Amino acid sequence: MLPLLSLLISLVTLVVARSSTGTDVLVIVSAEEQKDYTLFFEDLEGRGYDLFFREPKAEKPVLLDADVPQFHHVLMLASDTKAFASDITPQNIVELLTKNVNVVVALSPKQNLFYTLAPEFGLVPPPPGTPLISYFPERTDPPTVLPVHVAPGPIVTPNTPPVWFSGIPFSVGNSPLLVPILNAPSESFASDSDSTTESIVESVEKGGEGLWAGSSLGLVTGFQVTDGGRALFLGGGAILSDAFANKALPDGSSSGNKQIAHDVSAWAFQESLVLRIDETSHHVVNATEPKEYYTTNDQVVYTTKISRWNAKENEWEPHTGVDDLQLEFTMLDPHVRTGIPEDLARPGTYSVTFRAPDRHGVFKFIVDYRRKGWTHLKSAITVPVVPPRHDGYPRFLSAAWPYYAGAVSTSVGFVLFAALYLAGETKEAGKKKKE
Amino acid sequence: MAPKSTSSKATTVSPSSNPVLALWKSYNEQTPDRLRFIDAFLVFLMLTGVIQFVYCVLVTNFPFNAFLAGFSSTVGQFVLTASLRSQVDPENKNEFKEVSPERAFADFAFGSIVLHFFVFNFLG
Amino acid sequence: MATAYTLPDISPTAVKNTASLVRIVALALISGAAIASRLFAVINFESIIHEFDPWFNYRATKVLASQGFYEFWNWFDPTAWYPLGRVVGGTVYPGLMATSGVIYNVLHKLNLPVDIRNICVLLAPGFSALTAWATYMFTKEMKDASAGLLAAAFIGITPGYISRSVAGSYDNEAIAIFLLMFTFFLWIKAVKLGSALYGSLAALFYFYMVAAWGGYAFITNMIPVHALTLMLMGRYSSRLYVAYCSWYAIGTLSSMQVPFVGFQPVRTSEHMGALGVFGLLQIVAFAQLARAHMSSKQFKDLLFYSVIGIGLIGAGGFVGLTYMGWIAPWTGRFYSLWDTGYAKKYIPIIASVSEHQPTAWPSFFMDLQLLIFLFPAGVILCFRELRDEHVFVIIYALVGSYFAGVMVRLMLTLTPCVCVSAAVAFSSLLDTYLDPAKPEVPVVEETAPATASKPAATATATGTSAIDDVVNAAKKSGKRGIFDLDTRLIIVFNAFCMLSFFVLHCTWVTSNAYSSPSVVLASQNQDGSQHIIDDFREAYYWLRQNTPETSVVMSWWDYGYQIAGMADRPTLVDNNTWNNTHIATVGKAMASTEEVAYPILRKHDVEYVLVIFGGLIGYSGDDINKFLWMVRISQGVWPDEIQEPNYFTPQGEYRVDDRASATMKNSLMYKMSYYRFAELFGGSKQAMDRVRNQRLPTVSPTLDYLDEAFTSENWIVRIYQVKKEDPLGRDLKSANAFTDGKKRKRSKPVSRRRAIM
Repeated sequence: MLPLLSLLISLVTLVVARSSTGTDVLVIVSAEEQKDYTLFFEDLEGRGYDLFFREPKAEKPVLLDADVPQFHHVLMLASDTKAFASDITPQNIVELLTKNVNVVVALSPKQNLFYTLAPEFGLVPPPPGTPLISYFPERTDPPTVLPVHVAPGPIVTPNTPPVWFSGIPFSVGNSPLLVPILNAPSESFASDSDSTTESIVESVEKGGEGLWAGSSLGLVTGFQVTDGGRALFLGGGAILSDAFANKALPDGSSSGNKQIAHDVSAWAFQESLVLRIDETSHHVVNATEPKEYYTTNDQVVYTTKISRWNAKENEWEPHTGVDDLQLEFTMLDPHVRTGIPEDLARPGTYSVTFRAPDRHGVFKFIVDYRRKGWTHLKSAITVPVVPPRHDGYPRFLSAAWPYYAGAVSTSVGFVLFAALYLAGETKEAGKKKKE
Repeated sequence: MAPKSTSSKATTVSPSSNPVLALWKSYNEQTPDRLRFIDAFLVFLMLTGVIQFVYCVLVTNFPFNAFLAGFSSTVGQFVLTASLRSQVDPENKNEFKEVSPERAFADFAFGSIVLHFFVFNFLG
Repeated sequence: MATAYTLPDISPTAVKNTASLVRIVALALISGAAIASRLFAVINFESIIHEFDPWFNYRATKVLASQGFYEFWNWFDPTAWYPLGRVVGGTVYPGLMATSGVIYNVLHKLNLPVDIRNICVLLAPGFSALTAWATYMFTKEMKDASAGLLAAAFIGITPGYISRSVAGSYDNEAIAIFLLMFTFFLWIKAVKLGSALYGSLAALFYFYMVAAWGGYAFITNMIPVHALTLMLMGRYSSRLYVAYCSWYAIGTLSSMQVPFVGFQPVRTSEHMGALGVFGLLQIVAFAQLARAHMSSKQFKDLLFYSVIGIGLIGAGGFVGLTYMGWIAPWTGRFYSLWDTGYAKKYIPIIASVSEHQPTAWPSFFMDLQLLIFLFPAGVILCFRELRDEHVFVIIYALVGSYFAGVMVRLMLTLTPCVCVSAAVAFSSLLDTYLDPAKPEVPVVEETAPATASKPAATATATGTSAIDDVVNAAKKSGKRGIFDLDTRLIIVFNAFCMLSFFVLHCTWVTSNAYSSPSVVLASQNQDGSQHIIDDFREAYYWLRQNTPETSVVMSWWDYGYQIAGMADRPTLVDNNTWNNTHIATVGKAMASTEEVAYPILRKHDVEYVLVIFGGLIGYSGDDINKFLWMVRISQGVWPDEIQEPNYFTPQGEYRVDDRASATMKNSLMYKMSYYRFAELFGGSKQAMDRVRNQRLPTVSPTLDYLDEAFTSENWIVRIYQVKKEDPLGRDLKSANAFTDGKKRKRSKPVSRRRAIM
């Protein structure tokens, strides 16, 4: 009910960029903190999203009603809350993700349910109560508030100025579904903010063990769920706050928080870097309709159309420029592995011609395109490959002419022999009769 | 019989050639025309069979089914004709009580037709 | 000549006509009896295809009937042996399907719309009537028509043949035994007459047999052995030459037309015997021809040098070609007949089939009853006559007895020979006692005083001496025989009773032991009424109606054909067992832990796994009993990962209760069989496995990678669905633990530091 209404309303409003999955956003934030994020929320609404606010302990609006997700995106900024409502559980959040709902989660040094959620994604938070601390660069702010340099990547706009960050880092596992966006500065470490010196001394004595430090720690990491939504983990919700957006960097320039808030929310809500396969087709060369089964050594043409979501135009447009798309013709193991080059005449269409293997069996055309940050493209079409029919072989082989000649000569010889023999018999019978 | 045995006693240098020559002479004298006609056909079949076999061994046995078809066509026809010969031979009349020479020829024709049917099916 | 009883005075032509009428009526009644005794299963249950293999034949016949012969010839089945597929046209013996197809088309042309299933079910009884007729013709050549009728009656109802030809047993043997006997009959006629016509006909029916059954190799070797034996006995004749050469030339060429046989007749050791005898016959024929034209001394010289030389060259050629690999050595299936321990060690699949086990002696009696002890008597009578055809029966008896002792399945090939020999013996007995001729009374007065005067030293001495005198007197008089009607009546009455017992026995065995469809089981309720256990069909039809059409089902290979036939789903392995590695893969998946089995299942796109579990109801043919064969077969391909001793307790027992080894308890097969089994017993009582007779632990195994999809009424068939990979990329065990609310153990992050050396 609610989503439908909001959809109608949002159709009327003027939009700048919209998500490919929907526009309803549930923001779970406490009332006091809500005022800290007004710039971010304005940015979202300006992009055409409909925001619905909910206190962490409020029972409504629910995330899932009878296993059906009620919103297209969920934004969890209540990082300091310890107790949540009964339907906000790690299991429900995972279930939302599998049902193609995008979730943004802000962690905090206080231990709450997100500390059990993050490890399921391969992200290990440090012990509770150890925020990220850096004594560099020199600045007037406390060590727990630090500027972080933004490394270039496909998600953030290039040349984003450093952003202010306050929160915890986390260790990024080696799951291939993780998309690192912002990593901690190399001179930062996570420690209890009162006793940093003791913790450093301890870890030096232990040879560096136990100190969460370095640039391999993640601060903002995305996660692309297989056949599902996108999850975004923020080390601290403050990176999206107004205060940090307006705060100037130590050297005087403005921070990049507003820009990065825009970029990561665009990625998380499936506006940017979203691909899909429009259609695939396969047929024999010089034919248009797909065959029910192919014969071994057939020349097969496989075509696929890929489009990309254009958030500004609010439509899917053909996606050009993919030069590493790969097709595998597989039966248990790939028998043919070939790149699919772009068809220059039709943008967004990729086509390849290859020879079906000499082996008969049930094969699959598999396209499995996975790049960090981009939606995963998966397509598997099963098709049998049969051996040639009994009349599919060449009819007369030149190497066999002596055998043809021999067989034919035997038959001819037999006929002649029979004729002459019978003639001889009648002659003999005639002779005998005369005698 | 006597001259042959003395000649075999006299020449001990090549004992194998003499029986062969004797065989050839006796064959020429003793076999009736009809059987010699059948034997000529047999020789022709043997030659074609040998040619095909030599080709297979020396050049290629690639369309193996064609080789088998052609070769067994000659071999099959050979044994069928040899059977006809033994059935028509007047010396063997005691053996073949129920098979008259006409019946023998009919059997031969039937067998040959069946053989050629399979040969041409197997050839290509 | 005196007669024991007077024969009525009828003219010989009337006797002949009546005799032939009686023969025809007898043959018709025998055919009727043969067909009727095979219909128990149809009447007790329904018209259904039995067992496992016939389901594939039935599917193939359906393709043939619906799409025509060329589609069947080129049929590639993508749903069998997924994803390898099966080229059915080239890997099947098409004779059975072609026969059904022809009958189907003929009946439809006559406007009799008989369903293809009924044709398939009733084909075997129909052909058994033809087998009875073929055996009649064969035995007529051996002895005479009365022995022929007895042989036809015997083979019509003997259980040894019925076991493979009941209505519903739509397998190759249904038509193959008819073709076997008819080919042998034509061969005997050919040798007797020396006619190339019969030789060619024998070759044509041999071709039909090659198209119908893999056991054609029996004919391929029997006929050459017969020819060779005749030659070694010095009975070479032109008739033998004509018969054998026409049979061999046409038969071998035609047998290569069947794609499944291909070039085997010139490439494998099993067929080399026939080729060798063929060559030998040519040499001997030429030698005979040459002998007619030469003196015997010259002939001896020629024979000595050339024939032996050619023989040595030929034998050396065979050995050389086999050594070089041009001629394949004996394949495993046939080699295991000679070396019976070979299959258990090297080819576990062949050893695991229950039909391939050695025969136990009770099955000889159960299948053949009185025929089995008449059989040696018949063979000895053949020795007495010893015409060419009797040599054949003797060889057949020897060879058949050996093979029947080695493998239960080959009892079937012995049965016709036993019927023939027993008929000959029985018929000789009846002939002797029905013959009205009476011998002349011997003169015993001269020797009587001699016997009276002899001192009676021992009782036995007097007894034997009296008998000796009578015998000597009879010999002097020149005739021995049976005197009066009373002896005749006793013997004939006794023979009649034995035949009645035979009929009773056969009918009882057929109705009790061999008429079970094995797809449907029957048991008795406590009040004696029949209780039908239809779990298999229930489960297969659940699959058929509730799963996507392309979902792949994994089960052990026994059930592959049934799943394909009744559930119509792709299977990984089936009864064709042509790919040992694929079967070993399935065995490995069943025998390994879930974590090891899951990648195998996903790689093969398996969606459902099916196991048979008999523990609740006591069905002993279930997968836990077959489990060790799965382990052995997969051990053959992966000896490092699967070891059979791991599945036994340390004491060497095969247990499924709490003493079972850890490998056994964690194997996928164990978990799938006993999942939720303990809960069935309420948790207070311990679950009881009625097949193994062991009590299971009160806690059922847990499954992380599979979901239970279906369990049939008596828990015989259990179907599980394979879970998809976790969307978050975790292993399913942790994912399930998370869903259940368990907290993950706090783990330290992966250390990326390298140790300083």
